[in-house]
Amino acid sequence: MAELAGVYAASHGPLIIRKWDSVSPAHQLALTGAFNELGRRIKAARLDALIIISPDHWVNFFIDNLPMICVGVGETHGGPNEAWMMKEFSHQSLPGHPELARHILDTALASGFEPSVSHRMILDHGFCIPLLKAGIDPLPIVPVVFNDIEPPFPSVARCYAWGEMLARAIDTMPGDLRVGVLGSGGLSHSVGEATMGLIEEEFDRECISHFERGNPAALCDFLTQRLPQVGNGASEIRNWVAAHGAAGGRGFELINYSAVPEVIVGCGFAAWTLPART
Amino acid sequence: MSKRDYALNKLFFDLQDPAKAAEYRAGRAAVLDRYALKPEVRAAVEADDVGFLAKLVNPYLLRFYFLVAGMPDDEFMRRIRTTAGAGGGRNG
Repeated sequence: MAELAGVYAASHGPLIIRKWDSVSPAHQLALTGAFNELGRRIKAARLDALIIISPDHWVNFFIDNLPMICVGVGETHGGPNEAWMMKEFSHQSLPGHPELARHILDTALASGFEPSVSHRMILDHGFCIPLLKAGIDPLPIVPVVFNDIEPPFPSVARCYAWGEMLARAIDTMPGDLRVGVLGSGGLSHSVGEATMGLIEEEFDRECISHFERGNPAALCDFLTQRLPQVGNGASEIRNWVAAHGAAGGRGFELINYSAVPEVIVGCGFAAWTLPART
Repeated sequence: MSKRDYALNKLFFDLQDPAKAAEYRAGRAAVLDRYALKPEVRAAVEADDVGFLAKLVNPYLLRFYFLVAGMPDDEFMRRIRTTAGAGGGRNG
């Protein structure tokens, strides 16, 4: 059977690309170091496929048809279509993994989830900034879009359960694939709101502490209560929660947290230590 | 659930297309004519009334739109900060 070989999380703020030159040297060093460490760990895991959970930033979907969760099952995905992203990340297409995606879909449907399906998804900066900045050569990707940007949102508890379901899907996937899971986005930031530019570092630190403590129920309660009170971008922590669920709610290790006002994001990077296979 | 003006959201969504954005920057009226915007909403677009529009549109689309419309980031941030409660539903 396939193996869950790595679980990761990373921020993806667009200004990390668009305004890199205005990021202070100290913050450039912190972000570069964090992305490099993420890349080192992902390469060391020798993954055959990577499941990336990210929001869709109005690239594939609109309010006329807005899935809460969508799985990209295509053989090929479209590369990013944002002009500023295309300059840095020139892949017009990225490989998918239809067999793994289909197995995830079947496992989801057998587990009480009814996700939407896309046979040709465009992977925007949320998917591609971590790949670009961590220096990861494109590998087969199963993209999972969570609606993190337009209320109402999937509940935090269901995002955790989705992650647990991903782990079961990987465990029951025939073959010997090495599969990784990456939650992309967060931590606190605010986009297009009165609080735009505000980084809520205290919330971020509390959030990280909940991930480290490994009590999923307490983490879900904390986020369910606090997400409505902080900037809208923090909603992407749902993707970290799914990664946490995939890791069984244990083993969270912070690679770096830096509140970076220049990119208006509390930037977080993490990897989970997974139990040895029995 | 937050209040959403469909035509306004659609305008902002469509303007992510670089060709449409260029047309818009060259002359707003011709583009705005193609959307069934309520008169007060169109007036707010024409007046760059960030606070008014913020109540009717997804905050990410609002942010994209003012980038496309050519408002400097600093100016957008200054205006959005003065619009108490902009963004509507937040994360809940």
